[in-house]
Amino acid sequence: MNRHQLGEFEELVMLAVGILYGEAYGVAIIDEIERRISRKVSIGALQTVLRRLEDKGYLTSEFGEATNVRGGKRKRYFTLTNLGSRVLRETQEQRLDMFRAIPRVAFPK
Amino acid sequence: MNQQQNIQPPKLFLRFFRWFCDPAIAEDIEGDLTEMFRREAGSKNIRTARLQFSINVLKLFRPGIIKKFGRQSSYNSSPMFKNYFLTSVRSLMRSPGFSVINILGLAVGLAIFGLIAFYVYHEFSFDRYHKNADRIVRIVENLRTENELLLQSTSSPPMGPRLLRELPEVEKYVRFQNWNLLGQRNGNSFYESESYIADSTVFDVFSFKLIKGDKTTALREPYSIVLTETMAKRYFGDEDPVGQTLKMDYDNYKVTGVMEDVPENSHFRFSNLISFSTWSRNNKDAEDDCWFCNGFHTYILLNSADSKDAVREKMKSFIDKNVEKGGMYYEDLPTQDLTSIYMAPQRSWENGTRGNLNNMYILSIIAVFILLIACFNYVNLATARASRRLKEVAMRKSLGAGRKMLVAQFLGESLIVTIVSGLLAVLIGWLSLPWFRTLVESPLPFSVFPDPWIVVSIGVGLVLFIGILAGAYPALIISGFQPLQIFRPSAKGLYSHQNFRKVLVGIQFMISIMLVAGTLLVGDQIDLVKNQDLGFEKDALLFARTNGDTSIVSGHLEAFKNELKRVPGVVSVAGSSSVPGQNTNNIYTEIEMTDGKMSPTNINYIFVDHDFFSTYGIKFAAGRDFLRENKLDDTTAFIINETAMKDFGWNEDQAIGKQVWGVGRRGKIIGVVKDFNYKSLHEKVEPVMMALTNYVGRISIRVESGDLTSTVDRIQKKWNEMIPYLPFDYQFLDVMFDNQYKADQQLNKTAGVFTGLAIFIGCLGLLGLTSFAVERRTKEIGIRKVLGASVGSVMVLIVLEFIWLIAIAFVIATPITWYLIREWEQNFTLQAAINPLRFVMAMVAVMAFAWLTISFLSFRAATSNPTKALRTE
Repeated sequence: MNRHQLGEFEELVMLAVGILYGEAYGVAIIDEIERRISRKVSIGALQTVLRRLEDKGYLTSEFGEATNVRGGKRKRYFTLTNLGSRVLRETQEQRLDMFRAIPRVAFPK
Repeated sequence: MNQQQNIQPPKLFLRFFRWFCDPAIAEDIEGDLTEMFRREAGSKNIRTARLQFSINVLKLFRPGIIKKFGRQSSYNSSPMFKNYFLTSVRSLMRSPGFSVINILGLAVGLAIFGLIAFYVYHEFSFDRYHKNADRIVRIVENLRTENELLLQSTSSPPMGPRLLRELPEVEKYVRFQNWNLLGQRNGNSFYESESYIADSTVFDVFSFKLIKGDKTTALREPYSIVLTETMAKRYFGDEDPVGQTLKMDYDNYKVTGVMEDVPENSHFRFSNLISFSTWSRNNKDAEDDCWFCNGFHTYILLNSADSKDAVREKMKSFIDKNVEKGGMYYEDLPTQDLTSIYMAPQRSWENGTRGNLNNMYILSIIAVFILLIACFNYVNLATARASRRLKEVAMRKSLGAGRKMLVAQFLGESLIVTIVSGLLAVLIGWLSLPWFRTLVESPLPFSVFPDPWIVVSIGVGLVLFIGILAGAYPALIISGFQPLQIFRPSAKGLYSHQNFRKVLVGIQFMISIMLVAGTLLVGDQIDLVKNQDLGFEKDALLFARTNGDTSIVSGHLEAFKNELKRVPGVVSVAGSSSVPGQNTNNIYTEIEMTDGKMSPTNINYIFVDHDFFSTYGIKFAAGRDFLRENKLDDTTAFIINETAMKDFGWNEDQAIGKQVWGVGRRGKIIGVVKDFNYKSLHEKVEPVMMALTNYVGRISIRVESGDLTSTVDRIQKKWNEMIPYLPFDYQFLDVMFDNQYKADQQLNKTAGVFTGLAIFIGCLGLLGLTSFAVERRTKEIGIRKVLGASVGSVMVLIVLEFIWLIAIAFVIATPITWYLIREWEQNFTLQAAINPLRFVMAMVAVMAFAWLTISFLSFRAATSNPTKALRTE
């Protein structure tokens, strides 16, 4: 499973894609991340990661409708693939396991 | 809807995005961009939205988004670049000497350009370090007297306070006055000639940094003194000086602060500041009302940099309102921007040293010239080298290389070479910086640069610019040839860039001739001024300050002089108020004119003793010197110079016996001396009046030329015996006079060095070019020789190519140089005639260097065996 390590930002993007189930396109993902953890995300950073995740097979995409506000350009909706959701879940479990393994005394009062 | 149409993202960036983005993903990203843009344009303003859009596009310019350029053509291009690199290196290595010339020439040129630019920048950086630099002005005076308009750098004590009261634009003022004090502590004594009294606002107006003490109170109380670090060290060593006392002349001052040394790029520097109240408490009347006590320098802080004009406009009415119009009056009180003072034309009584704007222009011109020479060399040699690679180019073209690729290849190669040159230039510049600092006699600290990255980026920009410019010509020309033309070089036009090269070489010759002739002519002028008859003997004459010390002046003067005269090696000793080369006092006097009436005037005075004229070797045109036997001379005798005599409309006979009422004396003129330069050589000799005094400021000592050092040592010993507490602070008069021309001499020296280097670089280029000319004509020379040409005629053949270039260059260079030198000489009262021979000399010199360079190669070509030449293919 070591091959499927997710980067921190990759993980965020995949989470956002998951949350927005069916509605996950560029601007929506940016908004979601910004709304939830108030982190500024540039289109450049997001798009690179989206393509990378798609190349790895974690995400898949299809064109949606074109709207006027987008200058007549279509949206590209991203969804998690089976592999993607498995990797995401594993990542979360690993994190949680590690968090739980911290002894109580380690947390300062 | 309509409004929506107007809101468009920046076109340029959109096009850029469409150009670089991978088409597979471009559509939806562009949609995202547009959506975000629209949204921001709706909620914020359009400009921020457009800016954000541009930033987003730039952030998208990253791997993963950028399309794979060149992927369409299905071959891998890296071996091609490898091949470019390889052929470039090979072509550089094929003639290593040539490449070294090419790179080194450019590097030296760049290094010199950089050094001179540094120096010029430094000279223009003066006083800019003050936070308020753009709001500070200096008040100066245009003072109209009976017979002249005096442009003085000084002002009077009431001006600052009155301007503050009457003009709302004035926020603060500082007045300075230079005091020359003798500092004493624990048996150490030094002249502090750079002591200034200053208002307590000095630390608010200027950005001088106090290290110890309180800047609001430090200069409030009388007899407070703030020392610079250097001066504090001089008297207190490692002790903390604050709170201690320091004796200056006859008074004790309380040290209230220590400040950082005044930066060297300041138009005037001081070793200490004394509270202004030290002076004003005893001179209350003068401070309030003396509008002609112009011994001060007043600086004014304005409320904004834009109010300078407003202040200028109000000055006239300010003068009318406050200053009485008597025999003397202010025509104007101009303001000078703080940052302009250092380079401004000098006014009288300047504080501190000044730069010379003209010299900066001249140096800048030289710097640009040298850079041009170096660049032309580079272009020439690059073109020449490229022409040797015609076959390579033809081969590449036949194999399908596009023109763009060839241009890129040659440009890339040129860029690599210039970058190497640039790095080398940095190394050369770095290594020669200490030497350069001595040459221009300036410390040139790196701290004058506000931001080192700006310097670096300008440097890099310059190198890239030269690289592209120099590479562009060969790249564009050569890539344009048809392969067939090259393989069968019968067609015309193939060597047409020869002419271009010749033009460049011609300009190089022109610049060289201008530099050589210019340097020679500047040297002429300076020699003329240096060797000019000053009207007195300046050699082997030294002078020391008396500081008005009571054991030297007044009643003790004769005894003191006699003591000094007994020192072996001393010829004679004289006392005077000032020595030639220094400022004199302009004093109100009434003089009897030819019609018998007394006429008022202001005239310069020098007060002297009986031995002054004989010690200085000043000759009499009429009348007699002051006589010791004649006691009346002490109070009734005046001596004038020839200029004064002519100024008053007298001849030698009329002058003697004319009445003079001045300096509290009523007397007669007893003698007229021949003119001597009592001020600077930049100024004309003015009328001057001399009268006897025994309260002298300077002791002049004429010594036997020869062993000066040991004589000076003996005088020093004697001096210390008689007045141990007063330093023997002496200077040689000829040195002081030469210092007046320091800036000019320095220019001459600097120009000389760089002219030499310019010619060197030019010759390097010529050497390279000739080697090509010779190589190209190897066969021609061989055939000529076979057909019976002599070595001489072959050499003439090669040299001739360059001779006519030099001739044209000479014709163009001469009038330009003539004009420039003429302009420069306007600085001097005594101007050297421009010697046409100098131009011929310059041409001959340049020609000689060129000929030596060329003949070195052409001789080899001419003497070589023709069979060898003909066998080469």
